[in-house]
Amino acid sequence: MLGPDVAWYVAVAAVLFGIGALGVLIRRNTIVVLLSLELMLNAGNLALIALSRHWHNGAGQIFALAVMAVAASEVCVGLGLVVALNRRNLSLDVDSLSELRG
Amino acid sequence: MTGGAWLCLLAPLGGTILITLCGTRIPRVVAAWISTVSCFVAFGGAVWAFLGVQARHAVGPVNPVTFLPAVPGRGEITTAWTWLQSGNFHVGLQLLVDPLSTVMMLIVSGVGALIVLYSIGYMDGDEEERRYFAYMSFFVFSMLLLVEGGNLLLLLVGWGLVGLSSYLLIGFWHKRPSAVQAAKKAFVMNAFGDATMALAFFVLIAHTHSLSFAPNFDVHLSSTAINLVALGLLGGAVAKSAQIPLQTWLPDAMEGPTPVSALIHAATMVTAGVYLIARTHPIFEQAPTIELIAAGTGALTLLVAGLIALVQTDIKRVIAYSTMSQIGYMFLGAGVGAYANGMFHLLTHAFFKALLFMAAGLAIHALAGEQDIRRMRGLGQLMPFTKWCFLAGALALVGIPPFSGFFSKDSIVAATAALGTWYGWIFWVCGVAGAFLTGLYTFRLWFLVFPGEPSPFVREHHHRHGRLEGALTMLVPVGVLAVLATVGGWLQWSPRWTPFTDWLAPAARTLPVAIPTNTQEYYTSAATVLAGLAGIAVAWAIYSERRIAIPAAPFWRRALEEKFYFDLLYDRIFYAPAAAVANVLRREFEEPVVLQTGSDLGEAALETGGLVRRIQTGFLRTYVLFLAAGAAGVVLAFLIAK
Amino acid sequence: MNGLVVASAGNALVWVVWVVAAFSCLASGVAVVTFSNPFYSALALIGNLGSLAVMYLLLSAEFVAAAQVLVYAGAVVVMFLFVIAYVGPRRETPWSGGPSWQTVGAAGAAGALLVEIVVAVGMQASGNLAHETKVGAAFGTPAWVGRVFLVDHLLAFEITSVVLLIAAVGGVILGSHTRRATT
Repeated sequence: MLGPDVAWYVAVAAVLFGIGALGVLIRRNTIVVLLSLELMLNAGNLALIALSRHWHNGAGQIFALAVMAVAASEVCVGLGLVVALNRRNLSLDVDSLSELRG
Repeated sequence: MTGGAWLCLLAPLGGTILITLCGTRIPRVVAAWISTVSCFVAFGGAVWAFLGVQARHAVGPVNPVTFLPAVPGRGEITTAWTWLQSGNFHVGLQLLVDPLSTVMMLIVSGVGALIVLYSIGYMDGDEEERRYFAYMSFFVFSMLLLVEGGNLLLLLVGWGLVGLSSYLLIGFWHKRPSAVQAAKKAFVMNAFGDATMALAFFVLIAHTHSLSFAPNFDVHLSSTAINLVALGLLGGAVAKSAQIPLQTWLPDAMEGPTPVSALIHAATMVTAGVYLIARTHPIFEQAPTIELIAAGTGALTLLVAGLIALVQTDIKRVIAYSTMSQIGYMFLGAGVGAYANGMFHLLTHAFFKALLFMAAGLAIHALAGEQDIRRMRGLGQLMPFTKWCFLAGALALVGIPPFSGFFSKDSIVAATAALGTWYGWIFWVCGVAGAFLTGLYTFRLWFLVFPGEPSPFVREHHHRHGRLEGALTMLVPVGVLAVLATVGGWLQWSPRWTPFTDWLAPAARTLPVAIPTNTQEYYTSAATVLAGLAGIAVAWAIYSERRIAIPAAPFWRRALEEKFYFDLLYDRIFYAPAAAVANVLRREFEEPVVLQTGSDLGEAALETGGLVRRIQTGFLRTYVLFLAAGAAGVVLAFLIAK
Repeated sequence: MNGLVVASAGNALVWVVWVVAAFSCLASGVAVVTFSNPFYSALALIGNLGSLAVMYLLLSAEFVAAAQVLVYAGAVVVMFLFVIAYVGPRRETPWSGGPSWQTVGAAGAAGALLVEIVVAVGMQASGNLAHETKVGAAFGTPAWVGRVFLVDHLLAFEITSVVLLIAAVGGVILGSHTRRATT
């Protein structure tokens, strides 16, 4: 394969995953949390595609497409929640959703 | 024959189980009749067994008067299955059908059936009637198990079960605190006897590795061992039969319903001690000292109980002390070796004592529960049937011929005369003095309650049951027993004809030293009858005609009223130290350590919960953080594993 | 000699493209996480998706790259932008609020995951990454993907379509007007 080894791609995917995880954990705005979640999903996709190329196994690309579809569905539902929250004039701050406190 | 024994044993048990399983689905009177019928069926089984024993191995010509063979049959053991097995120690579920056990079966089931029939009328209207009849059937079953037991273990099982039934029935009216206390007292004192018997059995097992009758009766142990065994057996007999020093539970047991007092504490359970001595007489004969102690205990008890009965004011307690006294006679007879005489007195006593209790029950029922004889004057005018039946029972108790007590009691006292030793004469004097006391307290009771003008209390509270003095189910058994108490004694008159002694000979042969000559019989009878008549005369003088006043003697009066301070003594010796130790333990150990541990554990659990609770912060981000940290941990684990 | 030069030149070009793509991917990722205005975060996501598409092309996954741009950057991000516009401007500093240990813990957890993956990769996952397989020219083309999807992984295909349907229905329900209670 021309260019970097597959290990480099997987490393990039790992770093991207870490950045996305950090975003999910730290940000308080629901929409930004969903965006960070997209980052994590894309990182996984990158790893899948890279390894699929490495082992000449089509299943990796298929799985990546499926992940893409699922990510789209999840965003749809998540943003639907955000819209519903907004319509009821509730806060979009994830810290305000704390009624399951023990 | 053996079928009769099994029928006799299992019919009352079947009655109990049936009543228990039906519960409240059957009317109360149906439960009552189930119990009664089961007892009558048991009596039928006992008759069948009796006839079987009579027919078996019967040899020789039949006596034309009594229709019994000259040499009666021996016994047979019937085994259901092996019950316990440990090494070379086997115990089977065995019943013994022999002359002694058939006599007891007939008494228990016959008198028991009559008393259960009487209970139908007496307990009518009680809310817990079904429980009562279930307990009564259970008691009859336990007592039959005791007398039919084919080995010592089953005898002990029956022994314990009758103690249990007694506890359940004394405390039947469980909302009454005095009844509950009395039941506990009876059970604890009986448990003492059970313990001594068990210890005796342990000694026997150690030597013979068996609890069957035959090996244990032929055993030859060292004198200490056999004395210990006999002492243990005597302890059990004394506890069960309420002899001194374990007699204090019997008067308190009168808290139970009157039929219970009649059945358990007069006719059957308290006589189990006498049965035990007769059954295990080979062991006692090898320990003559203990047998003598048994006789001495009997003699002492018959005097002490007679004295205490002189001051009792509760009608049932007078009869209870009378029971204690008469069992003293039976112990005296069995203790000197005249087992058949003791058993004969057991038979006649069952008749007249049950009669006395049930007649007293008629009076109590008619006066709506009143038991104090000082209020009951002149009852005879309103209740003639009861008066005459009670009189028959009283005359039988005192031993006036031709009533039944005469034949049985005199034969015991005559047997003591036959001994010829110095203690034999002391026993003889005790027996005659006891006859005087019996006459005195019995007719004190009769004169205070029945003859004369009815007291205002009686006029006010007496009520009839329709046109009769009581329910028919109550009157019939009383009548039957009155007849039996009158004529039952004619079964055996020691100088002339002795079918009863002959019948029991294979099982419990009278010791030769205790067989009196005819002369001894005659003058003994004269002495006891005269003493009894003297007692009646004194009672008549004091209580009926008021010619003589009761002597003051405050010290003796106090002693008698306090029942010779036995209760006080036991309280000081046994109860107070035990209670003190228990209190100390509670203060020092139970509260600080045991209870504290419980509450400490609870508090620790609560605190741990409180700590763990803090994980639930309610913040979404915290939960996601935990997710991420967990994922990191899992990946780390995989890495390390690789 | 020419082949080698061409090959090495091709290799160098690929390396340069890769470095640029990787750098922009990571930079836009950081941007998504750190901008306080969610609108800017969404725009940064577009950059991220674009650089990822470039990397897919480098990995002979042409169809997936095209789908990435069309679906993700075209549809998903547009959805995000619509909702952000609808909801209105909200600014917030990324590190504010919540328990103080949350930040430290987050950094720790994310960093731990990252380090572990790098280590695993660095150890070449016990040799699995050692051997490279040659791929044919058809690898990654739409026709090839289509055939693999419909022949080898038909179940995944169908399930994915069901998931999309469910999401559509869910979205409609969530977004619909609440029924007024009749009082």
